[in-house]
Amino acid sequence: MTIASERLSVLVHPTRRRASLSVLLDRQSVFSWLMMALPLAFLAALVGYPFFYGILLSLEDRPVAHAGTFVGLKNFVTNAYDPVFWRVAFNTFVYTGVATLLKMVGGLGLALAMNQHFRMKNLVRALLLLPFIVPTVLSTVAWLWMLDPAFSVVNRLLVALGWPKPGPSWLGDPTLAMVSIIIINTWRGLPFYGITLLAGLQTVPSELYEAASMDGAGGWERFRFITLPLLRPIILIVTLFSVIFTFADFQLVYVLTHGGPANATQLFATYAFDIAMGGGQLGLGASVALAMLPALALLIVALTIYLRRE
Amino acid sequence: MVTGHGRVQQVVRVWLPIGFFLVVALFPFYWMAITSIKPNSELYNKNVMPLIVHAPTLKHYVDLLTKSSFLLWTWNTMLVAVVATAISLVLGTMLAYPLARMRFAGASLIAMTIAAIYLVPQPLLFIPLADVINHLHLGNTLTSVILTYPTMLVPFCAWLLLGYFKTVPKELEEAARIDGASRLQTMWKIFLPLCTPGFISAGIFAFTLSQNEFLYALIFLTKSSVRTVPVGVIAELIRGDVFYWGQLMAGALLGSIPVALIYSFFVEHYVAGLTAGSVKA
Amino acid sequence: MTERAFGHPTTRRRFLSLAAAGTAAAMTRPQPAGAAEKTITILHESSFIKPFDEYVANTLAPAYEKETGIKVSYEVTSVGSLPTRISTIAETGSGADITMNGLLQVIQFSNKYLDVGDIADDVGKAQGGWYEAGREAVVVDGKWKAIPFSNIGQLMNWRTDWFAEVGVKKFPETWEELYEIGKRLKANDHPFGFELGHGFGDNHGWLYPLLWSYGGAEVAADGKTVVIDSDETARAVDFCRKFFKDTMLDDVLGWTDVSNNKAWMAEQISCTNNAESILWFAKREFPEIGKVTDQAMNPAGPKGRFHLLNSISHSIFSFSPAKEEARAFMRWLMDPKQLGGWYAIADSYYQPLLHGYDNAPMWNVEPRNLPYRDALANAHLPGWPAPASQQLAESVAKYVVIDMFAKACAGASTKDVIKDAAAQLKGIYRSA
Repeated sequence: MTIASERLSVLVHPTRRRASLSVLLDRQSVFSWLMMALPLAFLAALVGYPFFYGILLSLEDRPVAHAGTFVGLKNFVTNAYDPVFWRVAFNTFVYTGVATLLKMVGGLGLALAMNQHFRMKNLVRALLLLPFIVPTVLSTVAWLWMLDPAFSVVNRLLVALGWPKPGPSWLGDPTLAMVSIIIINTWRGLPFYGITLLAGLQTVPSELYEAASMDGAGGWERFRFITLPLLRPIILIVTLFSVIFTFADFQLVYVLTHGGPANATQLFATYAFDIAMGGGQLGLGASVALAMLPALALLIVALTIYLRRE
Repeated sequence: MVTGHGRVQQVVRVWLPIGFFLVVALFPFYWMAITSIKPNSELYNKNVMPLIVHAPTLKHYVDLLTKSSFLLWTWNTMLVAVVATAISLVLGTMLAYPLARMRFAGASLIAMTIAAIYLVPQPLLFIPLADVINHLHLGNTLTSVILTYPTMLVPFCAWLLLGYFKTVPKELEEAARIDGASRLQTMWKIFLPLCTPGFISAGIFAFTLSQNEFLYALIFLTKSSVRTVPVGVIAELIRGDVFYWGQLMAGALLGSIPVALIYSFFVEHYVAGLTAGSVKA
Repeated sequence: MTERAFGHPTTRRRFLSLAAAGTAAAMTRPQPAGAAEKTITILHESSFIKPFDEYVANTLAPAYEKETGIKVSYEVTSVGSLPTRISTIAETGSGADITMNGLLQVIQFSNKYLDVGDIADDVGKAQGGWYEAGREAVVVDGKWKAIPFSNIGQLMNWRTDWFAEVGVKKFPETWEELYEIGKRLKANDHPFGFELGHGFGDNHGWLYPLLWSYGGAEVAADGKTVVIDSDETARAVDFCRKFFKDTMLDDVLGWTDVSNNKAWMAEQISCTNNAESILWFAKREFPEIGKVTDQAMNPAGPKGRFHLLNSISHSIFSFSPAKEEARAFMRWLMDPKQLGGWYAIADSYYQPLLHGYDNAPMWNVEPRNLPYRDALANAHLPGWPAPASQQLAESVAKYVVIDMFAKACAGASTKDVIKDAAAQLKGIYRSA
């Protein structure tokens, strides 16, 4: 440690008599607040301000290029009577719920499979992460073509097995369209889940497994009583992120169906976009976007409670 | 760890599931690649087996590179991603260090606020933010996205770095403090140089998120010369209602490559960062 | 493959200097229009026909500069980005002097546009008078807020060879006749494919006309009373349902604008509603298909034959510092010498809204495009017979009429879908 201190003394030039300013600056609270001042100001300006401005907008009738007039909760009332709004809410919850579940289960499966020794593990891991890191709109365009019944490999297979031509309409049938976006979202997000859970798995000490085996615990018991509990915190964090991303998803639907067929895949984000950017109603659009907030908060609280309880 | 004994066991336990995941993960990329080298006559031909190419051509790539601004979009995307990531790392560090190392009143409040910012996803902010950008006269400039991307990246970087910072042993900093270094000097000269792996992890994550961004770019960048790859490919490889599918796929593939490359060098750090953040948080 | 609007040569040095310059420029606020010499900036959406844009940049602009010394800067934004770009300009009060408008922009931004009635009057008088559709597209609150330029028609595209196989040589006159033919063609594995999804043009192009041709409408001519709940609407919905079930591909429910083009080139469908792009693209890329592609007007229903008005017009921003110069330029642009040349170069993709061009030589270049001219007589904005308004834009953005038909086709009852549409429209016209 002495050598280190010498090196440190060289690097650092302590003044002989500390001016009271430096002493002040060195107090934990002063230092911390000063250090955080810039990022907090940044976030306040570009997140906080728009957030509160968005709330204000939602309380206004504000057509584009016109001044806004305060209308109180009128926009929210309009949404409440809008049948499409409720469909959108339903869609977003279903989409988020099912896709997250699939990603969690699939991710766990992927993590368990990857948690073994085999060659080229690193290459495989890198390849598996591709769906997550590639820009969503680009991969979705590929899916657009792949889901065309005339060109879809799955359809060809099904037709060959006896399904009536041309096979299921993935983007035309309202239910299948929702299935399709869930599948693509799962395809995109599963690697993120899987690789993160894998990292978590790798922190579980193998002695625990060995001890359990010696006590007679089988594979399933080991999984249920050792692996799962230890993975809980990671599952919680990843799920939280995933839920937020999925709930607010925009790109996938925008490129694939733009909310069709007949709003079967319309989500909060795309509906708000259409109303604000297409219809020119900024206030109404903001009110739809804001509707995401309580729903999101609810989801997260519910999730946290569920995953935190023993 | 579980090891299988015997080749058959290996195959079943390892390669069957892994193979399945690999096929599912990579199939769309195979599709992109195949489509991008198919001539139009094959592309639109529904009677031909779509998984193979009979007369491959590089025409779509040539058209993409010479007739659209794809290279310019790629440059823009990389520039924006690098600068936005740099800004986010700096701001993230400035948030994470005090939270990791200092005790002060209001620390938990700040931590909760940052967590709460996650609850404010882009689609919630884009309408008022568009207004703000307009009034700052930043429409159609790369500055608009360089300024707004960190709003989603800073909380992430802060969180990831926080997790990482907590794993760094405190001895060196304590020694420096004993030697009379100010907190700033300690942070700048002693602590941060030790955190390179953390910065790489957070940086890769931020970089990836940044070049995946679409909504803000769609709204703020309408001129071709300032567009990023996602918006450029979606908005401009169409004319009226005609998609130039071959070019689109070529663009999709080429747009994925830089990221995948950068990624493959740093995947260890990426994963380490995720772990540090989630396990230790 | 056809040319792009922005070609960037890719020699490495050129690219690097371009990138460097572009980066520098892109980081800062765009410079205001030339301080020394006057510049007028025109904003346009990238044209489907590239020579159309080039004509302005390379022929018209230099000619005007030569004549008057005023520079004309032609800014092109990509398809779909025009509303966003105009939004920004309107909200910030700067960025362009003259702008092109699509379907909805005259309505949405009318309070930022100059009254150009005088120019429109003179142009109309000199060139045979405006089509009623032209007036409908640009008059807001009794004032001309834009000068009509053209329509981009949406018409029936049909495969002459496959129709001939079932004994049909001429495109049918009514929806019912088309329906019967469609049934036979679907049995022959050549179904119809009309967009019912969330695109922008190819769905409106037939669904609004279908509604009108049965006598239905969203809102009455007073612009306030929601009248969608009617027997006429129900009849239109019922027709649409059987039309979908018995003649079309299932997939059309999820189609966006590009889907029917794709399906046409893949020879999956025998009839659809589209702008000129299918024929144009087929002639260039798939000539064999192009030979058997023809275009026809929308069929008629019991209450008449209708088409969608998809108008293009030009407006002058009221906050422009070069208002007078912009007015002068618009007069010059709408003069037959310039206008005629500009229309002609675009293969009749832009159908003029002045009667003076009814017999222009450009129609003879591709006779199959003639129905686009004839369709102008009964072309209307969505929301007709109500006049243009903000609410119309909101209804279009929310896909009210489209979804009403689509949900019925997907299996919902006629009563329910009309009920939903009425509820939505009542909400939309809340402030009318």
